[in-house]
Amino acid sequence: MTAPAVRLEADGVTVQHGARTVLAGVDLTLAPGEFVLLAGRNGAGKSTLLRVLLGSQRADGGGVRLGGRPLHDWDARARARQVAFVPQAADCPFEFTGRELVAMGRHPHRGRFEPERAADRAAIDDALAAVDAGGFADRPVTTLSGGELRRVAVARALATEAPLLLLDEPLANLDLEHALQLVRLLRRLGEAGRGVLVAAHDLNLIAPAAHRVALLHEGRIHADGTPERVLDTGNVLTVFGVVAGAPDGYFPRAFRPR
Amino acid sequence: MTHGRRLSPRLFVTVLAAATAVAAAVHLCIGLGEIDELTRQIVLQMRLPRLLVAVAGGAALGLAGAAMQATFRNPLASPDVVGTAAGAALGGALAIVARAAEVNALAVPVASLLGASFVTWLVFAFAGVGARFSATSLLLAGIAMNTLAGALTTFVVTLTVDNYTASSKVLFWLMGGLDAQNWSKAAITAVGAVVFGVPLLLRARELDVLVLNDDSAFSLGLDAATARRWLLWFACGLTATTVANTGGIAFLGLVVPHLARLLVGPAHRVLLPAAALLGAFVLVLADLACRNLPVTVNVRLGVVTSLLGAPYFLYLLRRHQRGEELQ
Repeated sequence: MTAPAVRLEADGVTVQHGARTVLAGVDLTLAPGEFVLLAGRNGAGKSTLLRVLLGSQRADGGGVRLGGRPLHDWDARARARQVAFVPQAADCPFEFTGRELVAMGRHPHRGRFEPERAADRAAIDDALAAVDAGGFADRPVTTLSGGELRRVAVARALATEAPLLLLDEPLANLDLEHALQLVRLLRRLGEAGRGVLVAAHDLNLIAPAAHRVALLHEGRIHADGTPERVLDTGNVLTVFGVVAGAPDGYFPRAFRPR
Repeated sequence: MTHGRRLSPRLFVTVLAAATAVAAAVHLCIGLGEIDELTRQIVLQMRLPRLLVAVAGGAALGLAGAAMQATFRNPLASPDVVGTAAGAALGGALAIVARAAEVNALAVPVASLLGASFVTWLVFAFAGVGARFSATSLLLAGIAMNTLAGALTTFVVTLTVDNYTASSKVLFWLMGGLDAQNWSKAAITAVGAVVFGVPLLLRARELDVLVLNDDSAFSLGLDAATARRWLLWFACGLTATTVANTGGIAFLGLVVPHLARLLVGPAHRVLLPAAALLGAFVLVLADLACRNLPVTVNVRLGVVTSLLGAPYFLYLLRRHQRGEELQ
């Protein structure tokens, strides 16, 4: 990673959808070197918060800072080299190959007239290798399975070489094997110095691997800390309305990373 | 078509450029007989400008279709389907009927550009839900605008019914054809193709990124809304400067980018030049065909391109019914 490590900070972010308050003052920080799970009920505003952190949606109140500077003061391409994004739906109407889709991750590094350089090709190859997509990189994405498509989308985000990564429901439609592979990859990326924020429902799969869990509830961060501390019986009951026996019940031992 | 069967761009461009050059040479020289002052004048004053309009107009429509398919994220988008061409025809017909063309050679192209931009903007505003354009909503909005613009154009033409010369002039223009080209029309078509086509070619990578969703484009540093506005406007410009001089040339903007994508893949750095070249080739060939068909009536160019395009459209439909994605 060539970019200097910066932090992404949401400070009192509020978002209104018409009369409905989606986010009512969210404080959340993502720093390089940590793998954070953002969890909450359906409609809690996880995707909205991700878009605000990405900058594609403006907050109605509060603000987001990247490296201490307001996110919207950043030049678009410089920002894109710091914060990468993996969207929920990755449908593509044309027969691009996986490699061509991943190559788009180099867009913020290339001027309008610049051809693909050796550094671009190296970043693309590294990204494809990181998600183990070498085997299908040259096939049209219309022939790929859901899991393969998701890995291509993650590889595109990696190809930007951004130190911070935002992922929206990356495990949706993945079978258990591919879901676990992806979780392990995200954990590795965190350990290798990237900041990874995942909005997802799959507490059981992701929480054991995450450094931190942030629970979004009623427009605010209800709890934020280590998985063991945050996912206690009280918080799980409040946020998800589910009675959990012991927190251990949420962590299938076999899947624990250590 | 899988990646393995894609043609190498260099091979494709070389073969197609050679084929276009041959078609152009035939277009200029066919049936001339002995070279004298008369044939020289025919070639220089009639055939050469006509050829230039065919090459520039075909390239422009190929580019416009490719750009629209990427900006609408829908392989069915094209100047004909969206209504851009119908809007250009309406604007042009108004200018011809108002006799603005006799005042200034740019009147028809400018009126076409206004009509094309207006109709495209309407379809864009009505067919999209959060910048997603399903085939259904795009086709419905396109049908609505095509019908409306067509009806208004018919109304404009009926205004001239008591003037046989004027109405037949508009009608023949609407049917699409490359006859009655002169150097000023050729220059307008060529300059339009360059002015609106070159910026499009320079933004090939932005078209790639736009095919992803808006949040993904944003995360890669591209403001999708702004980029889309510019790219669609270039497509309108390409369509309008062509339609203003050739009238309606059906299907070219839909079929040519499709075919080019099948042959060289969807990456716009390669696809845009391929679509431009293929468009030029097809239009030169179609014009050659409609001038030299062994029939005594004057076959219009729009008729020939429809004869080529409609079966291709039906072929796409059949593929779709077999469960393949529309590509």
